[in-house]
Amino acid sequence: MKVLLFVIAVAVSIAAVALFVRGALTLYRLIGAGQPSPGRLGPVGKRLGNMVTEILSHRRFRARPLVKAAHWVVMVSFILLVPTLAIAYAQVLDPYAELPIIGGWPVWQWLLELFSVGGLVAIVVLFTVRLRHPSEPEDAAGARDWRSRFFGSTRWQGYFVEAVIAAVLVCVLVMHVLTSAVLARYPETAEAGSWVHYPLTFWVGQLFWSLPPVALEIGIVVAATFKILVSMVWLGVVGYATTMSVAWHRFLGVLNVYARRETDGTPALGAAAPMLVDGKAFDIRDLDDLDEDATFGVGKIEEFGWKSLLDFASCTECGRCQDLCPAWNTGKPLSPKLFTLALRDQAAGMEHSLDIFAALKSAGAAGELAAPTRDADLVGGVISPDVLWSCTTCGACVDQCPVDIEHVDHIIDLRRHEVMVKSEFPEEFNGLFGNLETKGNPWGLPPRDRMDWAKGLDFDVPVLGTDVTSADEVDHVLWVGCAGAYDEKGKKTTRAVAELLHLAGVKFAVLGQAETCCGDSARRAGNEATYQGLATENIETFASYGVEKVVVTCAHCLNSIGREYGQLGADYRVEHHTQVLNRLIRDGRLNVVAPPEDERRQITYHDPCYLGRHNGEYDAPRELLASLPEAELVEMEHSGSSSMCCGGGGARMWTEESIGTRINSARMDEAEATGAATVATACPFCAIMLGDAAASRDQAPAVTDVAHLVLAGVKRGLTNPTNEAETES
Amino acid sequence: MRIIALVKYVPDSGDEVGFEADLSLGRVGPSSRLSELDEYAVEQALRLRTELAGATLTVLSVGPAEAESALRKALQMGADDAVLVTDEAIAGSDVFGTATVLSAAIRSLEGGLVVAGMSSTDAGLGVVPALLADSLCWPLLSQAAAVSVEAGLAKIARVDETGSRVVEAALPAVVSVTDQSGEPRYPSFKDVLAAKKKSVATLTLADLGVDASAVGVGSARVEVLAVGRNPDRAAGRVIVDVDGSSVDEIVDFLAAATK
Repeated sequence: MKVLLFVIAVAVSIAAVALFVRGALTLYRLIGAGQPSPGRLGPVGKRLGNMVTEILSHRRFRARPLVKAAHWVVMVSFILLVPTLAIAYAQVLDPYAELPIIGGWPVWQWLLELFSVGGLVAIVVLFTVRLRHPSEPEDAAGARDWRSRFFGSTRWQGYFVEAVIAAVLVCVLVMHVLTSAVLARYPETAEAGSWVHYPLTFWVGQLFWSLPPVALEIGIVVAATFKILVSMVWLGVVGYATTMSVAWHRFLGVLNVYARRETDGTPALGAAAPMLVDGKAFDIRDLDDLDEDATFGVGKIEEFGWKSLLDFASCTECGRCQDLCPAWNTGKPLSPKLFTLALRDQAAGMEHSLDIFAALKSAGAAGELAAPTRDADLVGGVISPDVLWSCTTCGACVDQCPVDIEHVDHIIDLRRHEVMVKSEFPEEFNGLFGNLETKGNPWGLPPRDRMDWAKGLDFDVPVLGTDVTSADEVDHVLWVGCAGAYDEKGKKTTRAVAELLHLAGVKFAVLGQAETCCGDSARRAGNEATYQGLATENIETFASYGVEKVVVTCAHCLNSIGREYGQLGADYRVEHHTQVLNRLIRDGRLNVVAPPEDERRQITYHDPCYLGRHNGEYDAPRELLASLPEAELVEMEHSGSSSMCCGGGGARMWTEESIGTRINSARMDEAEATGAATVATACPFCAIMLGDAAASRDQAPAVTDVAHLVLAGVKRGLTNPTNEAETES
Repeated sequence: MRIIALVKYVPDSGDEVGFEADLSLGRVGPSSRLSELDEYAVEQALRLRTELAGATLTVLSVGPAEAESALRKALQMGADDAVLVTDEAIAGSDVFGTATVLSAAIRSLEGGLVVAGMSSTDAGLGVVPALLADSLCWPLLSQAAAVSVEAGLAKIARVDETGSRVVEAALPAVVSVTDQSGEPRYPSFKDVLAAKKKSVATLTLADLGVDASAVGVGSARVEVLAVGRNPDRAAGRVIVDVDGSSVDEIVDFLAAATK
């Protein structure tokens, strides 16, 4: 009998392991077929250290503390239970078998019991969380249920994986109960079966003391066999289904965290990944080295780097990305999760699961091809072009992803191919690219108007090259930026910052007509060539005036110049105006004065994605607001690292928003809900987008840059001598 | 059949207008480029080349040596080759002189269909296609919002304030297209790289057998005597009125202004 069970267990195990090895080899081949992903394997020590701490600490699990804790317990129990599976084979033959050395060690047994019970509770929590999220669209007409992060996740796989864990944990506990019962009944083994070794199950085991020992032994053997069979069915199913990434993430997620883009543990935000041509970063200054057949960006699945393919295979379908995506939440066909899953299944050459298929269809995210071949065009064939162009590159998905998937870089790589090879993109980009190339700004306004913002100021703004010869002669070079030079709101912000610098006695200069667009919109629209053309022009300008650090008022300029120009061999220190103003106030060089009592008001702050998530600056603007005596800061539903985009990033600023509702309007709803009279922000794109949303409403909060609020406070001190005296004393 | 698209190298519409010593319009501004309206001509010519079996597309320009950059842009968009007629003697030509040079070049290139923009964006006269058709003794189909070629016939739709009409003519013909004819394509970076291998041929008046005295500033039928800047607009006068008492003031103002 025992031998028969043993033979069955071993036979099933051999088949399952064979299937699993085959699956692993298939994945290795699929992922290995990708293009080079240079720098993703080393430095080994740093990457290993980061991997271990990131996984053990679960620090990339954002919010949802209950889920985080439950997942951590399940993860640890999974690791702890692997040895118990090994000894289960012996227990089929001999119910009293235990692990060598540690088997009878109370510490080990306590840990095992703790994590078995804890794991069981945790898996019930996770199971309930999954069940409570409706997976079906709420209305039969196919409208999407925005609220469910699991919408479009393959339901049976999630339940299957969770059920297997529950079953295995139950087996472990049953075996402990029975073992403790059978041991505790005889004086010579009573100590080994006591609560010292079975701290939790001993008490339950007492219920079974009345049963004959043989029955208990049979129970142990059956439970051990069942545990092996359940585990091996899991292993076999997972090996068979290589796209079952909710299961594979236990292995691939670990590798993906190891090979993450940033070795310092920060998410893959800030700079976009360089465009690789034959594994080397593209540089517009080395066109002669370019191979004649060179292709740009990613058009077909095997043109992705292997790390991208590993990303797709690692997706746990948890939907945290989808949950915070501004495009998805306003009715666009882009869900970062469905995007990733569509590419995962394309890479594996597998059909979508029914849940994924239905979600892609109902969201309008599916490509034209019913059964795309491996060399199918990804955009158009596998996913709808609207998926690609709906992305604002806000980075919420990347920031949320617990397994470090780099969605934004994938989107930009696909866009690069559409623009640079196929010349297919939203038609508004025709004007954008033309304006950037001929006029050096997205608005297409003449470069000679770049200094219009300074007209009427009661002090002179020195221009490098005309009034000042080198950046060494001033404290700060103020980088005005295109919005700061051409957009009405942006110009006012530039004026406010210039006035504040002047009032603080800071010596500063600007580049005037020598500025050209930083290139952010071009790069995020996928036009790497135009971006690099603009960037290298600015780098030359900086070099000719000895500029090494600048102050910007635009979060996009901050990111481009500060984070991306480094990829072209430059190295600049870029500060945002909120950081500089904050320091000037702290140093007492600017004094903010309170308005009369009745002017006190609530202010809410909108985090620009490229200041907050992409560059980690959440505090400086908030500290500035806190320094305003009249202001009471109230936060919106989404703020800080889970803030919601204004809709203007990723070059979306320049396109119509014709699908779903408008992102800026959804964000303005959140601002209105706070009851604040003012929405302060710190990026001209946000100010334009939110200003547009406010303009179409009767009673919307006023949208303004933080700098205006600071300037108003400082000016109150200048016009009111009493206050001035007070602040000086 | 060789399709010829005419393009002009002009100062960017955002540049300040400049003048040469002979008071002719300056062609080389800080950001001179292929005239935006001519991009529509290139786009339609590219489309027709794709539709017509065996057709090739040559872009042709008359201008200074710098005009090569306008031709390069058209090559990036997809034209097969480019010809630049450049000669000191052409400088300062009026529209008649330009049409003379263009017609000689088109004859020498053996073009079968000429596609031009509706007007240049600098001088903006819009008459070169007509003068050229006259010089070539070819039919003119002007101001096309849509153009097609079938069985040796060119057919256009012209839309104006009186309505829309369809006009057709036998090839060879001159067609000018408006900015309603279809957005010009944005060349992909692959196209930009491919265009580097294409050539721009340069021709002089002697190559075309055109008498230098027939063109240039000397033979221009229009003489520019002086150029000047429009006076800046003065600030207007604002009359604030809540009860209608300022009617007389406004009447007096209008009377004075129209005197």
